Amino acid sequence: MSSAKAYLKTLLSANNITVPDNRSGFFDTFCDSEHNQNIIEQILQNQKKLMENWQIRNRVQDIQDQNLSIPNGMVGKPYQFVIDRQQLRWSDVAIVDIAGLNEIGLQFDSSTNTISGMPVSSGDHKFIISYKLTQEGGVEAQYEKIASLIVNPDARSLWKNIPSDTHDTYWKEDDITSFGALGDKKIVVASKRGRSHANKGSFRDDGFRWLQHASGWGQVVLADGAGSAEYSRKGSEEACKAAVAYFKNKIDPAAFAEFDGLLAEQHQAADALTLRKINLWVYEKLGAAAFHIFKHLEQCAADMQVPLTQLHTTLIFTLFKKYGFGYAILSFGVGDCPIALIGKDESVTLMNWLDVGEYGGGTRFITMPEVFKSDKFATRFNFKLVDDFKYLVMMTDGIYDPKFEVEANLEKPERWKQFFNDLDGGNPDGTRVVFDAANDNIANELSQWMDFWSPGNHDDRTLAIIY
Amino acid sequence: MRKLPVYLLLDTSGSMSGEPIEAVKNGVQVMISSLRQNPQAIETAYISVITFDSVAKQVVPLTDLASFQMVDIKASGTTALGAALNTVSQCIDTEVTKTTMDQRGDWKPLVFIMTDGIPTDSWQTGLTEFKKRKVAFTVACAAGHGADTGVLKQITENVVSLDTAGSQSIAKFFTWVTASIGVTSTKVEDSGKEVVGLNELPPPPAELNIVV
Repeated sequence: MSSAKAYLKTLLSANNITVPDNRSGFFDTFCDSEHNQNIIEQILQNQKKLMENWQIRNRVQDIQDQNLSIPNGMVGKPYQFVIDRQQLRWSDVAIVDIAGLNEIGLQFDSSTNTISGMPVSSGDHKFIISYKLTQEGGVEAQYEKIASLIVNPDARSLWKNIPSDTHDTYWKEDDITSFGALGDKKIVVASKRGRSHANKGSFRDDGFRWLQHASGWGQVVLADGAGSAEYSRKGSEEACKAAVAYFKNKIDPAAFAEFDGLLAEQHQAADALTLRKINLWVYEKLGAAAFHIFKHLEQCAADMQVPLTQLHTTLIFTLFKKYGFGYAILSFGVGDCPIALIGKDESVTLMNWLDVGEYGGGTRFITMPEVFKSDKFATRFNFKLVDDFKYLVMMTDGIYDPKFEVEANLEKPERWKQFFNDLDGGNPDGTRVVFDAANDNIANELSQWMDFWSPGNHDDRTLAIIY
Repeated sequence: MRKLPVYLLLDTSGSMSGEPIEAVKNGVQVMISSLRQNPQAIETAYISVITFDSVAKQVVPLTDLASFQMVDIKASGTTALGAALNTVSQCIDTEVTKTTMDQRGDWKPLVFIMTDGIPTDSWQTGLTEFKKRKVAFTVACAAGHGADTGVLKQITENVVSLDTAGSQSIAKFFTWVTASIGVTSTKVEDSGKEVVGLNELPPPPAELNIVV
């Protein structure tokens, strides 16, 4: 049966008409007439066209409803994304162009279906994908699909750098460095306000001081004011000042002479009794210094008419002196700032333990009276006698957190190797600190190195290295 | 670096269809783009979306703000809140890094629950699991009068309610969630301390009633 006859039969049957056998000749004649043939031909063609249209439109709607997930970009970071036609089941889709990309710094290459470039503006950008369907052959019809691309701002650009108020009573420099000779060693220190403080124009809470005492002892002090204490910048400053002043003015010069004698004795004939005397001396003299610092801060708080807790600060200090037989190194610490002694052979000796709680924030401050009453107080002191050392390193948690992460890592020589390699230029910015006695620019180098970027670590940073 | 994990548990049961579900989707979108402007949040906050209707499903795994893309969510079915609590417990186990001797773990997660109905599953079982996990805080929001604040109170002491599940009040809730995440990420970064209760968060807007 011809398609014309089949169509007519279906049409009649749809209208509840059946052609009886005795009319079949009539049916054939009717169908074969040229006039009717043309009509049926036209109908069949229109039906076919209608079906095609339906399929095309239905496909376009499918594509419209399809979720096109394009990865987010970042301002200033090279971007590339290939629209994977296979994965999208777009084998029949030919993308002609994507409008709206140029404005945000991107281009589309239709030969590779690649969006690439360097995004210049952040936001939720909409753009229009123009495409053809290959099943339509040469037809010029184009369709559009709206897609969106999220471009994030560069997180670094979001940080503001608002100078602190220089008229504030307790103002201190946002950034400060120091460099000089300490005995026959050199010292370099940099202290920088953290980005979290810079972002809101608040003050640097860290502090430091160092001094070569006439007694031959070199002293270095670091303090980290508590973020939650309103005047901790003053607390850290005063703690450092008092620590240095104590060994400059308060301590009886005879005490140091006594220590020299004990050390000479120990050097000549090491015995447990002398060592015990040395440790007792360290505990008594440094303990008295620590208590003096506490009393000084208590007085400061009284003068300022604020609670002592408003001056909360951690404190570490070291004293070292060169003798004919080596270096004596003494230390004291409250809080979470490490002191490490790196030997000529790169061995690592931690001079103090850190006050760290299970979930952070568990630190102790020199401004807490309970520190002095605790039975752990005696363990806050240390004494070492070494032939020589390569570095004596003191840092606040602004350096320790990003570079060592946890306390356990401070004991690992490989982490210190990594740390000095980092200082030596082994970092993404290529900033380098050259530990050479002839390098007069080292303070600037250290300061620049300390601008390193570490997501989530934006605390004040203070680092002192004796070399 | 330490993540600040944020879990959003969103009710996508049938009663949420229409305006409420659109408002929720929009709320998440606005929240994400707003947090992306906060330097502390963009570096620390990681967001996950868990939906619950007849079943619970993590539709967005814990993702940093920069890469986050919201997925389409549709409302249908019942309210398997217990299953959602179970799912979030498992997600916390696999996605949140614990602090060990050698590694500093993530911050404790923040959990926000929003529901407009009464749980249709045995939610106590899910709650038992959830209670075993350490979170910084959980906030539950009862959207409209269909929700049972009594049930939510057993999940967390921090329960807020919205008079209606309309688009405006849902938007207000998400604005407050946004501010809370912002404040928490700033706090953990600046002082290294966790936020532990509702009283440390920004005051909720007038549309949000604190359920005592």
